[in-house]
Amino acid sequence: MRTDPFDVAIVGAGPAGQAAARATVAAGLTTALIDEQPRPGGQILRQPPVGFGVAGWMSGRAYRPLRQLLAATEDDTALHWLGGTSVAGIWADRAGGFRLHLAGARSGSLHARRVLIATGCYDMPVALPGWTLPGVISAGAAQTLLKSQQILAGQRLVLFGSHPLQLVLAQQFVAAGGDVAAVLFPQTRAQMLRAAWPHLAGALRTPGPLLAAAGALAALRRAGVPVIHGAAVTRLTADDSGAALGGVDYVAGGVEHHLACDVAAQCFGFVPQSDLPRQAGARVAWSAPAGGWATLCDARMQSSVPGLYVAGETTGVAGAEIAMIEGAIAGLAMADAAEDDLRRFRARHRRLAPFAALLRAVADPQPWWPAAGGDTLLCRCEDVSAATVDAAIADLAPFGPDASAIKQRCRIGMGLCQGRSCEHALVRRLAAAQGLAPGDVAPFRTRFPVRPLPIDALIEDAP
Amino acid sequence: MDADILIIGGGLLGCASAWHLARAGLTPLVIEAGALNAGASGQNAGSLHFQIERRFLEQATDAAALGSRIVALNRLAIAEWAGLEALLGGDLGIHMHGGLMVAETEADAELLAFKVARENALGLPTELLDGAALPGLAPYLSRDLRGAAWLASEGHANPRILATAFAAGAQAMGARFHARTRLTGLRMTRDGGYEIEAGSQTWRAPQVMLACGHWSAQVAARLGLHLPLYPVPLTMSVTDRTAPFLPYLIQHVGQRLSMKQAEDGNIVIGGGWSARMARGGDGLPDLDAPAELVPEHVCANLAVAARVMPGLARRTLLRSWTGITCISADQLPIAGMIDAAPGLHVAAGGSMFTLGPLVARLLAESIASGAPSADLEPFSPRRFAHLNAFTVLP
Amino acid sequence: MTRDPRRHDGVTRPAPLTIVCDGAPLSAYPGETVAAALLAASMRRLRDDRSDRPRGMFCNMGTCSECFVWLREGSAAQWHRRRACLTPVSADLELSTREDTCNAD
Repeated sequence: MRTDPFDVAIVGAGPAGQAAARATVAAGLTTALIDEQPRPGGQILRQPPVGFGVAGWMSGRAYRPLRQLLAATEDDTALHWLGGTSVAGIWADRAGGFRLHLAGARSGSLHARRVLIATGCYDMPVALPGWTLPGVISAGAAQTLLKSQQILAGQRLVLFGSHPLQLVLAQQFVAAGGDVAAVLFPQTRAQMLRAAWPHLAGALRTPGPLLAAAGALAALRRAGVPVIHGAAVTRLTADDSGAALGGVDYVAGGVEHHLACDVAAQCFGFVPQSDLPRQAGARVAWSAPAGGWATLCDARMQSSVPGLYVAGETTGVAGAEIAMIEGAIAGLAMADAAEDDLRRFRARHRRLAPFAALLRAVADPQPWWPAAGGDTLLCRCEDVSAATVDAAIADLAPFGPDASAIKQRCRIGMGLCQGRSCEHALVRRLAAAQGLAPGDVAPFRTRFPVRPLPIDALIEDAP
Repeated sequence: MDADILIIGGGLLGCASAWHLARAGLTPLVIEAGALNAGASGQNAGSLHFQIERRFLEQATDAAALGSRIVALNRLAIAEWAGLEALLGGDLGIHMHGGLMVAETEADAELLAFKVARENALGLPTELLDGAALPGLAPYLSRDLRGAAWLASEGHANPRILATAFAAGAQAMGARFHARTRLTGLRMTRDGGYEIEAGSQTWRAPQVMLACGHWSAQVAARLGLHLPLYPVPLTMSVTDRTAPFLPYLIQHVGQRLSMKQAEDGNIVIGGGWSARMARGGDGLPDLDAPAELVPEHVCANLAVAARVMPGLARRTLLRSWTGITCISADQLPIAGMIDAAPGLHVAAGGSMFTLGPLVARLLAESIASGAPSADLEPFSPRRFAHLNAFTVLP
Repeated sequence: MTRDPRRHDGVTRPAPLTIVCDGAPLSAYPGETVAAALLAASMRRLRDDRSDRPRGMFCNMGTCSECFVWLREGSAAQWHRRRACLTPVSADLELSTREDTCNAD
């Protein structure tokens, strides 16, 4: 690897990171593009392994701009691609610029004058009874297993949650020869329409995604896949072995139902990846309505840390097209482009904003959280139950606890994932107990390493 | 008067003192800027280290004298910890199954022998073990170690839950706690009592205890008093959990190292590797901001740990974090009443997790009885009285 | 009748290889992740939690930490904990879903 510092390091090779790289490379800046996945693409275009051939992979018209961007990225010999590599920490260098701690396929330090964090988002883990059974996965997991690994996540899939993306996933699953038992929405159709209404006019200016959703619905109807509204999943149940998922309990129209399945994918929306920006000292804010923390930035996508930029879902979940635009703006900004050069991107951003707002409103999970109390685990890593968390909140109530105080008391957030899965839920729970807005609850302090690191590698690479 | 005593700082010292004072029939009022136990009390590595620490041997010009003064307190602290769960009730994660301070080099071994001799002379029953004795006792330690000093009563406790356990008990006995309450003013009143201001609230009491760790000097300065207590930002690291295998506290006489396996199975590593104070907008150290990790120190700390316990290399680092403790001008705790300001008490100055419950009790007893504690006499602020010879109060 | 979880229609894969999981051989394709290969073999359990309940993958993108397994590449290599969803299979890969069954080094 080159020993000189890079002009730009981009963490995350999804649409935002790729778009930024196009701009920085075009401007003649030495650019490193880093991702934990072995190939660029992000989650939306998570590619099959090199060596696989997949006919018509992601060939839909809606994906064309993303595929073109990906092809340009992979063909670019001037771009330094570091796949299979995690960034465990970012520090401002005394001499100016930044030092990144790499781990995985490439390890050691990487220096760059400017850094873009475009690490995207992840499915919001939502606790409910039985959710830790093998076979319960995120919708994103079902989708990437299919898209990238060409594997159907199970024999019979149930999708459930408030986010309409699960319609698209159901369609893809069926098209791949899979069996979808049902798609369950807790919202009624009327409630979805009511949520969509204020944003509909604006969203119709970019009809593509709406048509895709309608197309998915039609395809599912043709395939005989039930899409059930007003269906609240209450529990995931084990199979005869007791060791894996066997079915889903839900309530619809006041009646309890059960569906047998071996894989259940939850789809309540997405959480921006905020650990690396927070470790780097960038200011974040609670990302309403779904939750998690979005990294704040100015109009040129610079975070509160000078020289550190953010783009894409990391700044707030708004979809792949907006991510590309933000990435392009960030790349141009890192290349010190004039405002004039950014204008057309800003115009596209404005045009796409209404659909993003519509999706946020329609998918808003807040009215639909499954009841998660008692034995239901809130912290999957340390096996901390809701009852334990609630007891800690109650016991510490006289002493003004923040999220860290609850963590200290009952270990929620102290495991391998360091709160990625549970912090948002804890903050919500604590906010409710204290009569505060979630954004007013001090969250965890994010520290190096932002991903678990093997100690032998750490010692070996010690500077 | 709003309380018998105002306690500034809701960490281990503040909460434990409140507990003892309340039990003695006084009404303490504790104010804490953040959440209870959010500072060094909750962030330290949880070591119960009763052997003379390396930091005394490393820096002191007269290691003998310094060591002897702390050993007296350490011996009392052993009994304090041994009785703590009975005192408070409940499981506090206290494990006192032994500690090994290891030696790698010849020089280490000599220092260790010197230390053990000193400790034995002062009544602390550390035993010098030869390298050959270690594999039988602790097979997971490196075979290259020259030896170790063993003390049966050393161990570890859970720093994350102790202060709030004291607080809950204190509150049940009438102590009052105001968390998320930041001190904005402290003054002595004309009648010789004290008034503290926290935003829009004020409280008065005849006495005040400063239990605010690395903020101590800043708070004392509000009264024009000099307290030679300085912030020391330190680094800790923790690995993933594994099945129990390490019952002892491991330290090192020649290197900065502490290592233990917590009750949940994680290996906690520390031992005095420094972090860096954050700087405010004015370029000065920001006492309120978390200290910044120095990644090179994290790696160096882990490297020493892995040399002493080779199996550590296969573990996974989950998190490194910082905490800011404080150190006094002579490295020894400062505990007692400040003569220049009657009714003003202070307790701070390093090793205040290991010594915290003891110092809190002794100080509380002296406040409640009005008689100074003989055991705390060597640590009285009086030794720094010369710094406040020119202070004007109130 | 159970359907092969692997899609074949329109999909070409390189020649398969064999990995070892908890002492038993398992067929996989180069490029597959360990998590995907196990799932394709209907092995949904990747580890046990603190109450000895089985756990499987959840996010499949390296975020949730459910899929940490112990693995090594070659019998002479050191065992490491790795995310199965991010680790590609290889011909000498050995994995264990329990720490205590990894050979002590």
